[in-house]
Amino acid sequence: MSNDVMIYANDLSKSFGSFRALDKINFEVKRGEVVGFLGPNGAGKSTTMRILTCFISPTGGSARVNGHDVFDESLKVRESLGYLPQRAPLYLEMSVLEYLRFAADLRNLDRDTFRRRATSVVEVCGLAQVLGKEIRYLSHGYRQRVGLAQALIHDPPILILDEPTSDLDPNEKAEFLDYLKQIGRERTVMLSTHNLSEVEASCARAIIISGGRIVADGPLDEIRAKSGRVRYVVSVQESSGNAPYRGRGSPPKRGDVEEALGKIAGVKKLGEVPTDERAHACELVSERDVDLRPEIFKLMVDRGWVLLELHRDSQTLEDVFRSLTIGDERRNRHLGAAADGSDQDEEEEEDENDREDEEPGRAGRSEQSEKTAKADRS
Amino acid sequence: MRNILIIARRDLRAQFNSPVAYVVIGGALLLLGVLFFLLPRMGGGFLEGSFWERDRASMEELFKYLPLLMSIFVIPAVTMRSLAAEKGSGTLELLITMPVRDSEVILGKYFAACTMVLILLAATMFYPIVMFKMPWHLGQLDWGPVWSGYVGCILFSLAAVAIGMMLSSLTESDVIAFFLTTGALFVLYAIGWIVSAVPGAAGDAIGFVSFQTRYESFARGLIDTRAVVYFLSVAVVCLLVSFRSLESRKWS
Repeated sequence: MSNDVMIYANDLSKSFGSFRALDKINFEVKRGEVVGFLGPNGAGKSTTMRILTCFISPTGGSARVNGHDVFDESLKVRESLGYLPQRAPLYLEMSVLEYLRFAADLRNLDRDTFRRRATSVVEVCGLAQVLGKEIRYLSHGYRQRVGLAQALIHDPPILILDEPTSDLDPNEKAEFLDYLKQIGRERTVMLSTHNLSEVEASCARAIIISGGRIVADGPLDEIRAKSGRVRYVVSVQESSGNAPYRGRGSPPKRGDVEEALGKIAGVKKLGEVPTDERAHACELVSERDVDLRPEIFKLMVDRGWVLLELHRDSQTLEDVFRSLTIGDERRNRHLGAAADGSDQDEEEEEDENDREDEEPGRAGRSEQSEKTAKADRS
Repeated sequence: MRNILIIARRDLRAQFNSPVAYVVIGGALLLLGVLFFLLPRMGGGFLEGSFWERDRASMEELFKYLPLLMSIFVIPAVTMRSLAAEKGSGTLELLITMPVRDSEVILGKYFAACTMVLILLAATMFYPIVMFKMPWHLGQLDWGPVWSGYVGCILFSLAAVAIGMMLSSLTESDVIAFFLTTGALFVLYAIGWIVSAVPGAAGDAIGFVSFQTRYESFARGLIDTRAVVYFLSVAVVCLLVSFRSLESRKWS
């Protein structure tokens, strides 16, 4: 383990009774990295962070923060951390300044250092207006800022932030993420969120966790490429309304387009996209290294259909996230009867995933969801 | 030690920043005044009348009601917030992830709660001073039992506050903590009333546990070392339990 590894988790597991919240997760975070910790609700993000901040102990494995073991040298670990728990729980009856001073006192900051640090922290977090106010009168956004301020007050080398932007408005969010980028140059920042755009805005690397396991870990580009797929949207004219139909013969009927597109070699997944009555629209997914556009074009020409739109994009982080963590969501939905159109979409994606279990992470995940399914039944 | 004081100071300030401290101390003093001056006393089967009608320079009544009042009202109200509310609202998570030991958190909160109770005790000092020393001289007061009574009250509070802390550490709701503590302290006090009615070893056992029996000798002017040891050991054991209970979050 080199000196640059600031956070190191080795086979970290945590069980609450019979529930496995974390299942042997491994990762490293180096100095100067801003890492997004992603996952659906209940995936184990907060549990991991609580272990790293010594609030709870792991049931198995070990973790080191700044070179100190979270179990044996927990005081040293906590000295080098700034932590913002979820929902920023603060003492409501204290004023902002009192609270910051309390945090600084416990961090053993002397008066001068506190004054210096407080000035910069207050500026960064935009707290100048509310310094003297009691925290109970502050809005959630401001409370979150106070929570951040206390995490930054001692200028820690490592910051662990659990959903730091959940209560901020879009402007504040953007500002905060900019600031993270800026301080992330010399520090190590680990932030959890389920908002993917935030990760794209501030992190170079993401760890995606689902059902207590890490399903993806790497630079954002790599994760984006992980699914290795490309998406096409094709729409074909169905009816021209008042204008003359420009195609050969009669416009295709419902199902014709889908059937024809499904016959193209290389199509991994096919689904209809809802549109108005003037067009049939389909969504296709193929492997990254094949380009289906010429095939689609040829099909249109052969059949004499009118192609209204054809566009191709690589999957967004959001798609990857959804496909990686969908097992979790499905498990949650087992109880709920409500299923709408979008759910159906996801269902199809899952079936697709189940068909090809070649990736080890994925195989592990379906195993995991099987386990939980069993547990559900019993 | 430094951290203990920082935590204790914050807790105390929190008590005084909210109405709790004023309501508790003010309410307790008011109740005590009513009980002390106006309530007639039963003695030996006769109604002896209130403080004014008895015509005796004695603070005995004060020390009779003070522990009961503290048990069912003051101490539960002071300790209910110390850990239960922090657990409930999640602020404990921020406190514990600062570089402080769990024991420092427990001791800091214990000191703060004890200080609150001591403030109330100090406020009751007003009674004997005003009546028998400074502006008025209602009679020749025997100060010995007053001092020993206060020593008893302090020891009693040290133990009772520790019990409150322990119960507060076991729950996440301050209301539950309040009622648990009130119940436990009332039972520990009230079993003293039935000691004489229960014969044999059972009676002895009840007398051994009862806070009232342990405390009574102090009110009469006697400092009983067995009682001192008893109260202090109850305090230590309860603090250890709360420490463990705080630590147990790691394993649950």
